[in-house]
Amino acid sequence: MLALIELKRRKLQFGLVTGVVALISYLIIMVTGLGLGLNEQAGTGLLALNGDHLAYASNANLSVIRSRLTEEHVAEIAAAPGVEQASPIGYIAAVVAHGPGESDTAATLGVVPGSFAEPNVVEGEQLSGPGEVLVDRAWVRLAGTAIGDMLPLPIGFEAQDFTVVGIVDQGSFFFQPTVYVPLEDWQALAYQGDPSSRPAASIVLIQGEDLDGTRGDAWQIVTKQEGFRNIEGVQAQQATVNALRYMGLLIGTLVIGVFFYVITLQKVSLLGILKAIGASGTFLATQGLLQVFLVTLGGALISVGLALLTEATLLSSDTVPIMFTTDALLTSALSVVAGGLVGAALSVRQVAAIDPIIAMQQQ
Amino acid sequence: MAILSLRGVTKSFGEGAQRVDAVSGVSLDIERGEMVSLVGPSGSGKSTLLAMVGGLLTPTAGQILMDEVDIVQFGRGDRTRYRRDKVGFVFQGSNMVPFLTARENLLLVAQFGGADKSALRRRADELLNELELTSVADQLSTRLSGGERQRVAIARALMRDPMLILVDEPTASLNTELGERVVDSLAAEVHDRNKACIMVTHDDRMAARADRLIEFRDGRLLNDGST
Repeated sequence: MLALIELKRRKLQFGLVTGVVALISYLIIMVTGLGLGLNEQAGTGLLALNGDHLAYASNANLSVIRSRLTEEHVAEIAAAPGVEQASPIGYIAAVVAHGPGESDTAATLGVVPGSFAEPNVVEGEQLSGPGEVLVDRAWVRLAGTAIGDMLPLPIGFEAQDFTVVGIVDQGSFFFQPTVYVPLEDWQALAYQGDPSSRPAASIVLIQGEDLDGTRGDAWQIVTKQEGFRNIEGVQAQQATVNALRYMGLLIGTLVIGVFFYVITLQKVSLLGILKAIGASGTFLATQGLLQVFLVTLGGALISVGLALLTEATLLSSDTVPIMFTTDALLTSALSVVAGGLVGAALSVRQVAAIDPIIAMQQQ
Repeated sequence: MAILSLRGVTKSFGEGAQRVDAVSGVSLDIERGEMVSLVGPSGSGKSTLLAMVGGLLTPTAGQILMDEVDIVQFGRGDRTRYRRDKVGFVFQGSNMVPFLTARENLLLVAQFGGADKSALRRRADELLNELELTSVADQLSTRLSGGERQRVAIARALMRDPMLILVDEPTASLNTELGERVVDSLAAEVHDRNKACIMVTHDDRMAARADRLIEFRDGRLLNDGST
């Protein structure tokens, strides 16, 4: 086939184009991975909770940080029509010292031990009572904490040691690794003073259907996804990452389109000759598109390999919030291939417009 | 019965006072097995006439009957099929596809559809053999000599067994000996396979090797006779 033979015999020319496509595709994949990584650190801990909906205080503007719910609110929410199960969750950012002169902030979530809100451990035991803590793998990577270690969590001006009983794999929350303590301990961590005046929870995790928009006097229920989107900064961050990604795709489409347009211009006389000896415009356009498809596919595959290599080497630490999923890799790579084909449409028009009389004029 | 008949064929460029008749009211018949030389000074309209007969240009007026079918009435698709199946072109500069070997340049026409590919592969071998190109069949066309390239061009023009072969200055870039060999190869193919051929040339010695010589001037036929 003409297109394949040309690719094979003009390795340098098409190799350079493939390299440029690979770099553009790599850029798009890295930006996509950055978006996913930021998402993951922003609130995977929230998305991973075992429920469909979340209830917030009405005046909290869907902010976990600002939401405060009383025992009465929690009871009302649990009794709302359509709610199958409800479990209160508390949140506070706690600065945890985990070594001499070393401390980091952990998103400390209070859950009722044994409830569906308590994440399943991947190692160790579930929470069984006060003074115990589950830590996320992200915290383990950060602080090197192991099961059986004591984790000092601050209560007022003091610190109370919690025993690490299990490790979970829930991700981060507010860009901080998560730890899980019994709800009663969370109340002591978050609010000092008279226990009777303490809020019962920050939010309520709910299992149930068709609850989105359900409201009480002082609370409202939204989907977990809606709750995630309202985490402070998530929308702006995703909009920025998406803008970068779409710009990359647009630039990629234009660059690939221009590359193939220039290659087509270089071949105008040859294409005119082929038309003069009986090649149809459809045949030539098909050959051109096949070349674009193969070159962009090759570039996209190289970029996927580069991205995986980058993830395995340079970004193996937790310092850069980047992650790749099969879906994201495939979508980004296929976007580049599709963008390349769209960009090449300009060349197809050029091919269709070539007059075969050029075969006699080129002499 | 003539295989190709031109009836009052005219080609004009421009309009009004700018109008130029490159070819003006040309009528002629060409038979099977006949090789015709078309001679005349530059700008006399020879190549324009060749382009119209080959379906590369549309006449402003007149009929071009190939086997009694007027190709002037063809749409784009019919025109492409006409060039693919009925006409074999040999251009001045041979016009090979540079990244293909001699054999691949011949087999290229098999990719255009409408033919049995295995039959075309056999045909390519036959033509390479007849035109003494077997030894260079697998060399890139850019590595062939001028004479070899022109013989490959002739072979490519004959691949789909066209009724009509159109040749534009086939020897312009060749020395006399090579030019004579190329034209003789072409004449042999035309006579042996009972084709019709129109060859545009500036070279009187090459023109004299054809069966019939037509002199062209200012877009009109000046003389038409046997050589």
